[in-house]
Amino acid sequence: MTMAKPKYELILLKNMLQPGYTGSLADYERAGGYQALRKILGKVAPAEVTAMVTKSGLRGRGGAGFPAGIKWGFLPKDYQGPKYLCCNADESEPGTFKDRQLMERDPHQVLEGIAIACYAIGAETAYIYIRGEFVLGAKILEKAIAEARAAGYLGKNVLGAGVTIDVWVHRGAGAYICGEETALLESLEGKRGLPRVKPPFPATAGLYGKPTVINNVETLANLPHIITRGPEWFASIGSPPKSTGMRIFCVSGHVKRPGNYEVPMGITCRDLIFEHAGGMRSDKPLKAIIPGGASASFFTPEHLDVKLDFESVAQAGSMLGSGGVTVMEEGTSMVWAALRLMEFFHHESCGKCSPCREGSSWLVQTLRRIVNKRGRMQDLETLTDLCQNIAGRTVCAFGDAEVAPILSTLKYWRHEYEELIRTAEANGSSELLMPAAARH
Amino acid sequence: MMKTFNAWLKTIIFYEILIGMKATLGHLLRYKPITLQYPHEKRTLPDSYRGMLALLRYDDGTEKCVGCDLCEAACPSRVIKVISAEVPGEPTKRYSKEYYMDMTRCLFCGLCVDACPVDALGMTREYEWAVYDKRQLRLNKQQLLAIGDRSFPVREKRLELQHPNVAFFNVAFRQMPPKEG
Amino acid sequence: MVETVKLTIDGHHITVPKGTLVIEAARQVGVMVPHFCYHPKLKPDANCRMCLVEIEKMPKLQTACSTPAAEGMVVRTATTVVNEAHKSVLEFILANHPLDCPVCDQGGRCDLQDFSHEYTPTTSRFIEVKRVFPKEYFSPLIETQMNRCVQCLRCVRYCDEVMDVKALAPSGRGTMTEIKHFTHHELDCEFCGGCVQICPVGAITSRLSMYEFRPWMLKRADTVCTYCGDGCQITIQTKENQLIEVMSAQGAGRNNGDLCARGFFGYHVSTHPDRLQHPLIRRNGELVQATWEDALEWVAETAIRLKLAHGPNAFGGLIGARCTNEDLYLFQKFMRLVVGTNNIDSSARYGQINGVRALRRVQGTSRWTVTFDDIVSAEALLLVGTNVTETNPITGLKVKEAVKKRQATLLTIEALEPAVGTISNIANLAAHHFSVQPDGFKPAVLGLIKAVVEENLVSQPLAQKAPGYVQAVSEAVRRLSWQAIERATGSSSQSFIDATRSFTRTARAVILVGQGVLRAPDGSGLTATLLDLLLLTGHHGLPGCGVAPLAEENNDQGAVEMGAALEYLPGPSDANDQAARARLAQAWKEELPKGPGKSLMEMIEGARTGSLKAMFIVGENPAGSLPPSAGTMEALQSLDLLVCQELFLTETARLAHVVLPACSYAEKDGTFTNTEGHVQSVRHAIELIGESRPDWEILSALSVLMGYPLEYGDAKEIFKEIRSLIPGYGLLGPAPTPPRPDQAVVESYLKTGYSSGLAERYTLGERRAASGERKDFSLTLLVTQTLFHSGKFSTRAKGLLQVQAEGAFSLNPADGTRLGLAEGDRVRVSNDLGEMTTTVKLQDRVPVGLALFPEHFDQEARRLLRVSTDPATQVPYYKSASVKVEKAK
Repeated sequence: MTMAKPKYELILLKNMLQPGYTGSLADYERAGGYQALRKILGKVAPAEVTAMVTKSGLRGRGGAGFPAGIKWGFLPKDYQGPKYLCCNADESEPGTFKDRQLMERDPHQVLEGIAIACYAIGAETAYIYIRGEFVLGAKILEKAIAEARAAGYLGKNVLGAGVTIDVWVHRGAGAYICGEETALLESLEGKRGLPRVKPPFPATAGLYGKPTVINNVETLANLPHIITRGPEWFASIGSPPKSTGMRIFCVSGHVKRPGNYEVPMGITCRDLIFEHAGGMRSDKPLKAIIPGGASASFFTPEHLDVKLDFESVAQAGSMLGSGGVTVMEEGTSMVWAALRLMEFFHHESCGKCSPCREGSSWLVQTLRRIVNKRGRMQDLETLTDLCQNIAGRTVCAFGDAEVAPILSTLKYWRHEYEELIRTAEANGSSELLMPAAARH
Repeated sequence: MMKTFNAWLKTIIFYEILIGMKATLGHLLRYKPITLQYPHEKRTLPDSYRGMLALLRYDDGTEKCVGCDLCEAACPSRVIKVISAEVPGEPTKRYSKEYYMDMTRCLFCGLCVDACPVDALGMTREYEWAVYDKRQLRLNKQQLLAIGDRSFPVREKRLELQHPNVAFFNVAFRQMPPKEG
Repeated sequence: MVETVKLTIDGHHITVPKGTLVIEAARQVGVMVPHFCYHPKLKPDANCRMCLVEIEKMPKLQTACSTPAAEGMVVRTATTVVNEAHKSVLEFILANHPLDCPVCDQGGRCDLQDFSHEYTPTTSRFIEVKRVFPKEYFSPLIETQMNRCVQCLRCVRYCDEVMDVKALAPSGRGTMTEIKHFTHHELDCEFCGGCVQICPVGAITSRLSMYEFRPWMLKRADTVCTYCGDGCQITIQTKENQLIEVMSAQGAGRNNGDLCARGFFGYHVSTHPDRLQHPLIRRNGELVQATWEDALEWVAETAIRLKLAHGPNAFGGLIGARCTNEDLYLFQKFMRLVVGTNNIDSSARYGQINGVRALRRVQGTSRWTVTFDDIVSAEALLLVGTNVTETNPITGLKVKEAVKKRQATLLTIEALEPAVGTISNIANLAAHHFSVQPDGFKPAVLGLIKAVVEENLVSQPLAQKAPGYVQAVSEAVRRLSWQAIERATGSSSQSFIDATRSFTRTARAVILVGQGVLRAPDGSGLTATLLDLLLLTGHHGLPGCGVAPLAEENNDQGAVEMGAALEYLPGPSDANDQAARARLAQAWKEELPKGPGKSLMEMIEGARTGSLKAMFIVGENPAGSLPPSAGTMEALQSLDLLVCQELFLTETARLAHVVLPACSYAEKDGTFTNTEGHVQSVRHAIELIGESRPDWEILSALSVLMGYPLEYGDAKEIFKEIRSLIPGYGLLGPAPTPPRPDQAVVESYLKTGYSSGLAERYTLGERRAASGERKDFSLTLLVTQTLFHSGKFSTRAKGLLQVQAEGAFSLNPADGTRLGLAEGDRVRVSNDLGEMTTTVKLQDRVPVGLALFPEHFDQEARRLLRVSTDPATQVPYYKSASVKVEKAK
């Protein structure tokens, strides 16, 4: 992976960029690893750890951006019985590849984060739900867990503090929806990965009906640093007070140097693309940006100066999501881009809720028709209507995610759609070519 | 004076009777028959004439009827009796195993034709169905198909179905409203 | 006190218990929220998104089916936004729906049809290509048409949550999701028909009635299923006197709309082509068709002649417990008054009488002191000798509901291993399971009592009230050694102690006693021992606690209560209870016959020895039920008069001098009493087949010809008489009110009553071996009931025959390996009595050393069985034999 010379002090990617760093336990310990765990285990009360994390302002790096400390605080206070921590490593969002690097290159950083989180919420068992395709990552994690267990950082009686922390790696079977936290739990329980109806939220009835916290890999990897260097330090980075800390952005698309860039929250798109990622691939000007993974709305060049933090991006009509920034240059067909994303969502729709299940196939077929120059003007209205009918009417956020690309392209590049349709009308091919038996 | 004379004149020439027989007298002199000499002469039927009912086939000779019982449900005088079943050898495909119409009761309202989802029923222009034994008016499926065959020589094309499992009947031939919005 | 919340739905104010879902609250005020995936029996899944409603202070529309009502909630179900949402969701659901309503059996009662008429425009904007699934063969009884599916997953959830079968699952993703079963071969499940009933569209339909009807053509009759003792309410739907289908509405009857394979698919018996349509008289050795007048006159004449010659006690009467209470009542009245004998028995003799005797002895009731509702709300359930799913499936559902939904502790003692199979296995849900051989029920129960005594779990009030009883029982169980119990049951003493602890600490406990106990030697004694267990733990007499013997035939309980047994008069009161005799004599205006009377086995013996000259047999087939070794055939053949009232020409009817065609439950009116003692109305669904007549009408006609008229206008008149004589037959309410244990009887039992037979009840003793039975064969053959049939009656139901048409010899795979047998092998099963050839089926649930064979197809298997008769209750036992198995050449 091509990395630019770091401009800011790196936190998460720091170790792995050291020459010769292998990600082994020895390397990690040499780099000051597991100090945070030693610092708190048996010395700081779990509630205080939670308070520290809350104070640091750390927000979920998986997509929704929910404050981690507050999430932990939702667990029932006087609950006696097993609680679980799930590490969501089912990184399936197109254009996102940060967790993979964190797990493959510096697994102990993640494990230490898991251990800290387990201690803070009082969970004795943690599951890493890793995406099925990450075979290497799973292997590395297994090895790292074995190392950590041997060294007493995991297992029974961690570091002699009388705390049990067991970590298990569970490989998914390749479904995007299992990145949704309740679907992840279902899949972990051995069932069909379908999102659950909320409430009850996982914090009260999660894995096997027990209180469960689900955190993203990057979120957990931040924990050792917050503990070691203090929440105040973390809260001072980025754009406080709402979006603190560093953030790994996965830049892909038509840029010179695609890759993972750890930058403080709140830098502008322009900075990220032109300074860090080396600018556009060719001399063609920038046309569109997806700021936060495939389920975020598109940005236009006008949005280049939007600050990449949770609030600013949301205000500009998109979301920071998983931090996958995809850049497209002039000449890219936005209708085609929308279709490409829609095909992904159609393939990954789990089929639980009617609007998403039927809507995704409908949207894909209509978009495909427009791209193939067989569209009609009414289709655009139908598309908008369908998107609005899907969004907000499904069990999970997938429904909102799948319509974002279409709605935003229709908003900014409607003329491209119209152009395709006008060609179709000129050719007379907007007449239906479907067998009539299918038309009811 | 004049009034009295007119009244007297009308009385002696039976004026009212003449008025009453005006049409008769007119035709007495100018003979032009208006009665049709049926069965030697037959009337021209209006275009939407509702005559004998018939079952229809597609151009390849297959029956259109899918045995859905909707004609039976629509019939106001309980003329129709459908016994539907699965086509032997073709799982889940429905057809009418037996089909009866008791034409003694039919009032030719055409509701069954309207109700048919596959246009399997038609109203022919036949009306000469006087029989000596009214039991002959209980028509079975073969008879109804025969009526259809002779009254509708031009048959509708059987559309190649998109897939045999989608629908077992030809919806496409319905005059459907255009698919706007 | 249930916590309640107040909310407003479309301007209606309503107070509902906390936790009520908005959709249910809306239904209470008469607001229908459209839905597909919601079902009151299932946990909310909120996948169809049809029930979206507007709730104040919530940003998005909420699904009414998953949102619990909260205090002060304001719900609107008919705003523009909500209507738009309904419209759009329906547009999505209809996008890929084939709209083949004209050929769909659900057309006319389809939720999707109804809602689309209400909410969507008639033309869809969907102009793309519809998704299609290739048709796959599913099963002989259930048809799927996945293109019509709306993926509400109700069938999948029902199969899992209610039935615990898990035969169905969604497969594929997104639009390509379809409901499938797991295996490559056709669907193999319990065939409860729940998926057919619960499907809101035409995706899952019944093949039995496929394309035969339109919903508006059907005539409905609410009646009661005639297969097992559960007494499920079914709605028989007919079209032009043809049985079309059976359904049971949600909330209907004691079964709450749930049915089993027998109830749902077994309805074709009544219209079977073999039904007898005319009376038959034996002339020159052949049964020939006769008129009713000839047949009845001949019977009456011969009966009067025989009565004059040999006296009334040369007559015997036997009636099947599938008859209505009216038939049973009139039959015993006919035998007692018209004939004048006490030689009366019914098929309740095979087992139910054991349970009733024990209940009467210990607590003075003749029926359960609990109801199905008590089973559902029980905290601990003990199932002894009952594979409840297969014998009483709906009671099984109540147990499943108690365990799965209400976390009750389940204890099972059964000749069954917990193993996953195509049919749900109640032992899988058990917290404590004791897998025993068919003769090991008693040691296991004694093990529990020993644990109660030794762990000092005996109820203190009882110990103070009846120290003598507690002392006697304690001493009796202390005499038994744990080693002996462990040897007899194969379970450790610790497991008994653990099970007892979890049983005793609950407040509501119900013990279900099944055929393994009731139809076995000393079934009455063991049932009384189970009552001892309940007494010792202090549960006895508490609300919702009791011992419940499960009836196998639908009116076993009614047969006993109508007095169709030699030892009971209607009531039931003991036959030598002078007060009851006097009361009855006053009502009947006639003295009751004296003398002890003969039971089933005694009657057969009497016929053989010649002391019995004539028999009236109504709807019962002893020649077909009892093994040939009992000599029933020969005995019946030697009778001077054998009159059978039957639906079919059974083995017994073939021996008769006169066969009178009776009508089935689908053609007659009356009442059935189910296993919990709930009296329910049976209503005719079709007209009488041929010249058949209800049994009571035949008996009534005979009584007139025999000079002692018992005339009734209709079944209701008989029921009126029953009502005046028998407690518990007053009002036919929606739920039974169980009797309370009679404290006087309980006290007398605790004082002295317990002692008789105590020593025998509290010994481990070997199972009483039938005379001459040799134990040197390798396997124990046990003839059992299976889920898909009930007696021999259902073997004429074409639907059930498609699921199970022949018996198979079920073995544990370990035994199979030991004997070198594989699934599907033909085997020769033999012992000193005879032999049979059958097919092997390997099942994990069969314990090692045991082989099961269904009793419904036991024509051949019966040859291997011996009969032993319980000396106390005269119950014949002929269910097991030890056999040798070898591969057939």
